[in-house]
Amino acid sequence: MENCELEYGAAARLKEGVLDPDLCSGCGACVGFCPYIKSYNERVAIIHNCQICDGVCYRICPRGFTQYTSLRREVFGAVDFDPVLGVNKEIYFARAGEEEMRSCGQYGGVVTALSAFALKDGFIDSILMTGGNLKGTKPVLVSSTSGVAKCAGSKYTAAPTLSLFQEAIKNGYQKIGVVGRPCQVTASRKMQQAPEINGQRISLVIGLFCMGAFSPELYTLVKEKGLENCDRMDIPKDVLFSSSGEDTIIPYDEMRQFIRNACLSCYDPLSELADVSVGSTEYDPGWNALIIRTTKGAALVEQACANGYIEINPYPSELLPLLKRAVFRKKKRVLGRVDFTYLNLPAPEREYFLSTGDDD
Amino acid sequence: MKDPINMVITGVGGQGNILVSEILAKAASVEGFRVTVGESYGMSQRGGSVSSHIRLSRNCLYGPIIPAGHVDIIVGFEPVEAARIALELGSPNVKIIVNPRPVFPVHVLMGKCEYPPIEDLLDKIKGITAQTLIIESTVLAAQVGDPVVQNIIMVGALAGSGYMPIPRETFEEIITRVVPQKALELNQKAFKIGFETAQNINRS
Amino acid sequence: MGWKDAIEGKPGDLVLLNGNEAIARGAYEAGVRYASSYPGSPSSEITETLSRVPASDLYAEWSVNEIVSLEGATAASFAGLRAMCTMKADGLNVAFDFLTSMNLGGCKGGLVLTVADDPQGHSSVKEYDSRYLAKSAMVPVLEPSTVKEAREMAIKAFDISEQIKGPVLLRSVTRVSHSRGLVRLGALAQERKKAEFPVGQRFLTKTLFHMKARDRLIQAAIIFEECKFNYTEGPDRADTVIFCCGTSLLYAREAINILGLQGKIKLVKIGTTFPLPERFILSNLQGVKNVIFAEEIRSFIEEGVMLIYARHNIGNIRFYGKISGDISGVRGPFCGEMNPDIIIKAIARVKRIQYEAPGYSPETIVEFSTMLPPREYAMCPGCPHRASFWAVKTAIAVDSRDCIVAGDIGCYCLGAWDTGYNLFDSLHCMGAGPGIASGLSKLEKFGLKRPTLTIVGDSTFYHAVIPGLINGRYSGSDFLCIVLDNSVTAMTGHQPHPGSGISNHGRSTTAIPIEEIVRGLGIPCAITDPFENDKTAETISSTLREPGVKVLILRRECALVAARKHQHKKQRVYVDQSLCRGESCGCGRFCTSVWGCPGNIWDPVAGKAVIDEAVCAGCGVCATLCPAGAIIAEEVDK
Repeated sequence: MENCELEYGAAARLKEGVLDPDLCSGCGACVGFCPYIKSYNERVAIIHNCQICDGVCYRICPRGFTQYTSLRREVFGAVDFDPVLGVNKEIYFARAGEEEMRSCGQYGGVVTALSAFALKDGFIDSILMTGGNLKGTKPVLVSSTSGVAKCAGSKYTAAPTLSLFQEAIKNGYQKIGVVGRPCQVTASRKMQQAPEINGQRISLVIGLFCMGAFSPELYTLVKEKGLENCDRMDIPKDVLFSSSGEDTIIPYDEMRQFIRNACLSCYDPLSELADVSVGSTEYDPGWNALIIRTTKGAALVEQACANGYIEINPYPSELLPLLKRAVFRKKKRVLGRVDFTYLNLPAPEREYFLSTGDDD
Repeated sequence: MKDPINMVITGVGGQGNILVSEILAKAASVEGFRVTVGESYGMSQRGGSVSSHIRLSRNCLYGPIIPAGHVDIIVGFEPVEAARIALELGSPNVKIIVNPRPVFPVHVLMGKCEYPPIEDLLDKIKGITAQTLIIESTVLAAQVGDPVVQNIIMVGALAGSGYMPIPRETFEEIITRVVPQKALELNQKAFKIGFETAQNINRS
Repeated sequence: MGWKDAIEGKPGDLVLLNGNEAIARGAYEAGVRYASSYPGSPSSEITETLSRVPASDLYAEWSVNEIVSLEGATAASFAGLRAMCTMKADGLNVAFDFLTSMNLGGCKGGLVLTVADDPQGHSSVKEYDSRYLAKSAMVPVLEPSTVKEAREMAIKAFDISEQIKGPVLLRSVTRVSHSRGLVRLGALAQERKKAEFPVGQRFLTKTLFHMKARDRLIQAAIIFEECKFNYTEGPDRADTVIFCCGTSLLYAREAINILGLQGKIKLVKIGTTFPLPERFILSNLQGVKNVIFAEEIRSFIEEGVMLIYARHNIGNIRFYGKISGDISGVRGPFCGEMNPDIIIKAIARVKRIQYEAPGYSPETIVEFSTMLPPREYAMCPGCPHRASFWAVKTAIAVDSRDCIVAGDIGCYCLGAWDTGYNLFDSLHCMGAGPGIASGLSKLEKFGLKRPTLTIVGDSTFYHAVIPGLINGRYSGSDFLCIVLDNSVTAMTGHQPHPGSGISNHGRSTTAIPIEEIVRGLGIPCAITDPFENDKTAETISSTLREPGVKVLILRRECALVAARKHQHKKQRVYVDQSLCRGESCGCGRFCTSVWGCPGNIWDPVAGKAVIDEAVCAGCGVCATLCPAGAIIAEEVDK
């Protein structure tokens, strides 16, 4: 492969364009394939500038330059586009069919249930998820439904889940699923375009709603406050830690400082490129919001319902504007940031947000 | 016979320079020469250049460094090192016995500089010497059974070259004395192959 | 190799020894009973050789550092025994505090301090002239020219020491210590002195005691005037003389021969460098027009002779030396070691004759030498330091705060250059790392935000690191001290150290593990195996974020020691070229262009990596780091 002149290869672009300005979301996509990129403690770094010109590392980075329009076309084909919620076929309230799964998962346990079903039904043969607890998280490569259950529950820091993709390749998996934050969903779609890393073996992308991930300093705080053994964390408004039914609440303003800088310039709170997106309803903690985006996502949900893995209800029409408003505000805020340069958005889309008032 | 006889054994750390200079110095002293060996093995780590200056005289004691242009014989365990010594201390009168097998410097491995094509290198060496004997001592050593005895094959080649006024038997006697008993047979075999190879080379 | 002849040889035998073995033999013949040293090239073989003397005849010790070593040897002298303490020039600084005090009160049994200087810095960070330190300490100096004379001087040095009741410094240089020549062995001393420290005998140092040292120097000067180590060669009268010492005698002799000036130039050989034999020198300045100086490193004799000249009315003499710039190698005067060509050049200038060395045209040399790749030092195949450095490099990159790395002295000083990934930001003397790291960590309030890390070796740890750690903890500094523990003093030839559980020559003793010392200081200490590279890097990365002084031991035996112990490779390592990514993305020749192990070589035809099995030590670390899993390490049954 051609080496670059002026030592300005992919690694240098990744360093200067993403890592140095602190725009790295810690998705882990660039880690694992390359011997010169490592991630410890949710921090990614380049150890050596390899000078390879069109390296995969920059190409698949969700914070590297991204032709958003063409990426959407790759995923969805030519479809009508909703600038706020992204491409969507249906939006539901959903929850796991089994009580057990609901109780161990976040809200309705839909991610756990869909993942388990996809594995069991052969949609995928393995899935990249995030395990761990309030002492720290870690990426996990799962190939069994029992493994899925161990990863249940939301994690609020940026585990480099995609760093295990090459592990899955080495293990010979052909249909690999991903459960990830919006940045990881984008990365997964970019990875699918990179045959040298066998990215085409990513077969299912379950996206999460994400308003920003905390830095690992969260764990220091959790430890200082003696909350590291809590079994659940949630952010209904302020930050809630629960331990066998007992809740501790930390005001969100106290936690704001821990939000990763990279997340402040994220344009995609709802995982718009996923097959399905799952998140909080912001209304009923017993249920998840579920957005079906692709045909594959629709098929998965349909069969999961048919097999009792999940159950769905229509998304209450009075709640939809609330979701839209939250997303609209986030996107508009991000468009105003000077460091928001990595997504090449179509001009009309940008115009839509800039010309529309908050309360429209 | 020229006096003094100035010789350099050169190679890369780990190739067994010191044992060879010891054998040559002892053999020469048995033959009544006054001997000085100047050794530079730097940090004694592998990978660096190593060279021994050996000086033999029937008249007086010489210093451990050969003056520029005054080396008579170079025994090179590695071609680039042999060439380096030739350029530093040699003259068109120098005779070289060289193992053509490269040991790549780390910077070559790292792609920071290039190792010349081996044929070009050997041609260049031939061009600046009175005689060049190419002895595939690494290959021969492997045939004998252990790559480690590459150095003793070169001792044999030196003895067989006739460049030094030291009879074969003296070398053999010294090898018997300095090599540990359990490795003796291997080393004797190596010496013999080196000796015969040098004797049978067509010297044009 | 030569130690056997040096120790077991019979009187009258003519044997091939190197300078260090000859010094050891001389000491043995002189009846030395106590030999101590901290290893350092080019001095190490002296105590290595003496370690082979039967324990009933001699106590030999690898000390923890040079000052302790000299103190121990001096104690033996106090008890009336002959003792030799050996070190490299840099080590003399470490022993200097004690030397300057002890020399005031003096000693009893012959005490010889052998210091090996390293002109050209073959195995040192500096060219250091120990004669100036000896002068400051008021200690007489002897300087041998040949291997043969090294033995003789070692013997004589004990006698002189006993005559003046003070230490004598024997100055060797690399070209004496590491040269070999024939030595006629003498008889071993028959007298077996008993160690005695009589009640009432005291060795004290007090203000103004330096007058005692002064008086001893006067005594030494008288002895040196009649000493056989100073002599002349060539004509009795000549208008040009060369003052030389050390191996420069041989270079000068050869230079005269090459220029065909036999009988026209006189050589004045000085073996007693300090105090200089003034009458002897004066007698050789009478009627002389040109004086050339040939000596190693600095201009010690040159200055001394010019001072003698200035104090006497001797007519006009021109001096050609380093000060005048006439004694000068390729890097100019005062830099690099002596050789015959430097002296040839100086004589030719003085005598106004043309000399051209036989050789090749400058064009031939330039054209050919540009073809030849330089050969940098590299860590050995299988060296644990390479793995350690890669882990440190990784951890620092991930830490992203631009950690400053203070290096230290050992094999691992290669951490300052390419093959050690250019990690070090500072590199000085043994023990400098922790002090520098500690100091830097105190500068945060003045704006320095970069964290600090220091890398030291195991032998260095015992030698000079402990005070730096105590100081760091005492002063509340924040730094990580990484100890590369390869179980031996590797750089100088694998001498044991206090962690080895072995004293000199394989005798077992109590091991003092580094971690026990560190924990005893209240400093947190973890241990990892650098061959478990990811884990090590993660540990470094997380430890770096902890406050206070921290120690992390990266423990893995030196590859050369391991190879000697096991005799065969534990693993066969090879490349499956069908998996190798070569120059492509996701590798970019990691093993051959970045990792830097001599065992990983490139197959240009296939465009893939390959293992040089003749060189590979079988450690298998590259197999764990290969991103494609193309390097395979297989257990070998043997």
